[in-house]
Amino acid sequence: MKMFFAVLVFLPFVLSAQDGSSAATKEDVENVKGAFEGLNESYLETKTTVDALKKIKISGYVQAQYQITDGIAGTVFNGGTAPAPGGFSGGAFPNDVSSRFSVRRGRIKFNYDNDLTQYVMQFDVTQGGLAIKDMYASIKEPYLKLATFTGGIFDRPFGFEISYSSSNREAPERSRMYQTLFPGERELGAKIELAPQSGMLSMFNAKVGVFNGNNNNNAENDNNKDIIGRVGFQLPFNEENLEIDGGASFYSGKVTSGSRAIWKIDNGTKLWKYDSTAKNNGSSFDRSYVGVDAQLYYDLPVLGGLSLRAEYITGTQPGTAASASYYVYAKGSGTPLYSRKFSGYYVNYVQNIGLTEQIVVKYDKFNPNTDITSSSIGTGNLTTAGDIAYTTLGVGAVHHFDGNVKLTLYYEMISNEKVNSATTNAALLPFKEDVKDNVFTVRMQYKF
Amino acid sequence: MKKTTISILAVIIGLVSFGFAPNGEIITVKGSDTMVILAQRWAENYMSSHPDVTIQVTGGGSGTGISALINGTTDICDASRPMKQSEREKLKLRFNTLGVEIKSARDGLAVYVQESNPVKELTLQQLKEIYTGKITNWKQVGGSDAKIILYSRENNSGTYVYFKDNVLEGEDYAASAQNMPGTAAVVNAVSKDKNGIGYGGAAYGKGIRFVKIKRDADSPAYEPNKESVMSGNYPISRFLYMYTRSKPTGALKDYIDWILSSEGQTVVSTVGYFPVK
Repeated sequence: MKMFFAVLVFLPFVLSAQDGSSAATKEDVENVKGAFEGLNESYLETKTTVDALKKIKISGYVQAQYQITDGIAGTVFNGGTAPAPGGFSGGAFPNDVSSRFSVRRGRIKFNYDNDLTQYVMQFDVTQGGLAIKDMYASIKEPYLKLATFTGGIFDRPFGFEISYSSSNREAPERSRMYQTLFPGERELGAKIELAPQSGMLSMFNAKVGVFNGNNNNNAENDNNKDIIGRVGFQLPFNEENLEIDGGASFYSGKVTSGSRAIWKIDNGTKLWKYDSTAKNNGSSFDRSYVGVDAQLYYDLPVLGGLSLRAEYITGTQPGTAASASYYVYAKGSGTPLYSRKFSGYYVNYVQNIGLTEQIVVKYDKFNPNTDITSSSIGTGNLTTAGDIAYTTLGVGAVHHFDGNVKLTLYYEMISNEKVNSATTNAALLPFKEDVKDNVFTVRMQYKF
Repeated sequence: MKKTTISILAVIIGLVSFGFAPNGEIITVKGSDTMVILAQRWAENYMSSHPDVTIQVTGGGSGTGISALINGTTDICDASRPMKQSEREKLKLRFNTLGVEIKSARDGLAVYVQESNPVKELTLQQLKEIYTGKITNWKQVGGSDAKIILYSRENNSGTYVYFKDNVLEGEDYAASAQNMPGTAAVVNAVSKDKNGIGYGGAAYGKGIRFVKIKRDADSPAYEPNKESVMSGNYPISRFLYMYTRSKPTGALKDYIDWILSSEGQTVVSTVGYFPVK
């Protein structure tokens, strides 16, 4: 483009310099005209290339952090062995370690966006190595632009917190409930999303997908497919500087047991009940959740915007004896399956103060086994640490240096249910009291 | 442990207190190139009667202004198109606010040709076909036998987006369209090119002629003037917007109130745009 203007600017001088015959002048004009047309052609070719390159978007962020905890894994606590703190604060601290530096996330995302089609690839590079986070293609139907189809590895369409990016989240980690039920957030599958572009219906959206149901990016290991969906709404009240969003979600899935040993809580006795029918081995058992979520945004005069977000999820989770995490099937593993009814919620408050500061207060609770009380844990009913409920109160501040860099200070006060004081179960002894597992995080994030 | 907790909370509260630092009475305005002259006139007039207030105006395009609003680097974003839902979501993510939209003026999006061009009027459909590359010769729309040279704007321009959405109905511009860095550059290029065509704000009409626009072949043709724009008869008229992150307060509110007052709206007419009411 600059060359084009240069030719236009110098053209009169070139012409005025010609004082020879009109034929020579004409030839010079033709030469300049030829040069101009060549440049214009070259410009159009370059423009086509640049327009194509503009469709490739590269973004990423790195989160470097320092953490300190008041608990030390592996030491003696309450007559038992202290559990590792930090399991839901970025990863468990190793034995005898109470502080650490780490790169929590190191993301690089490539997105080729062709308006109606999209290709996305995202990696996570940390001291733990390289992992695939997203790998999907999506296509939008071109007529009403109402429906988008996506296939590959992507966020499961459940609730709000999964799709709220870690780079935007004010608290360093998702709630314990989400980390337990949806570790890694993503899954292999396909989904359809409906989002009307205009009119009253544009306030509503719906998405539903079919997934392997084998946790994060693992390859499929049985023939069960899980269905996950959410219907959502956005209600803006612009005059009041208020918006209320929300939705309802479901997860309908099955897992295959690698053992004949199936444990469920007996409704009458409230004790674990053992079912050892031979056909259990290789049979499917429910993994089903329902949830509701709501988000409120309000512009508080003078101070700044605030958001109040909350979610509640309940359902049935197939886990193992020691953990309420998802049961991973392996043929012939012999690992007993423990089916628990659970519930959990979180409430997250963020207040912007001026242009650069935010304060955040977050409270979450996850009860992995709602059929039993805390005082009954460890009383000979075969309960384990996997049945203990936790609450986490987190308070923090975020300082945005500019559009790229932010500093987060966040302190999590984590409390566990206290198990029966008479228990002699060695694994449960530390949980007679609130174990030491509070975590303070200082995180610097660079995002581009 | 209590001591540790209290110490950590004190550090967090200390950090937050930086957020209360006073900002002074400097108002920054960034965004639409279409609006930059208007914004400068507003600022000059306002500062002459309010010497305690400093208003800094820069252009860059509506997209650039909206990004600045989202990044917290401007107080007011001028935009010649409405904010997109995706941009509102970004504002919500960072500031937990929805943005406040203020309609500050009206504009008829003019279509320019050189004065010697015999084409006096075009339908919206013809205009679409010209800019999407389906019509390439002036002869196809009643002009002389010459290739049509397209002048457009860069894609961070609100005018570019508005024209694409409302005239091209979302279709891509022809690859041959030359992207100019501002409306003034479009006008300048068209004024020197007898086969050129461009588009931009009606306030930039010097050295060129407006083509009258018809909704369809059977409709009357209109030029962008106060009467046709205010009545809604001119087919490609639009509002010019100002956006703030939050509900304006203090000096910012006073300035915006002044822009919407009869004094501020007189400046709109003086520059060549049309008042909101």
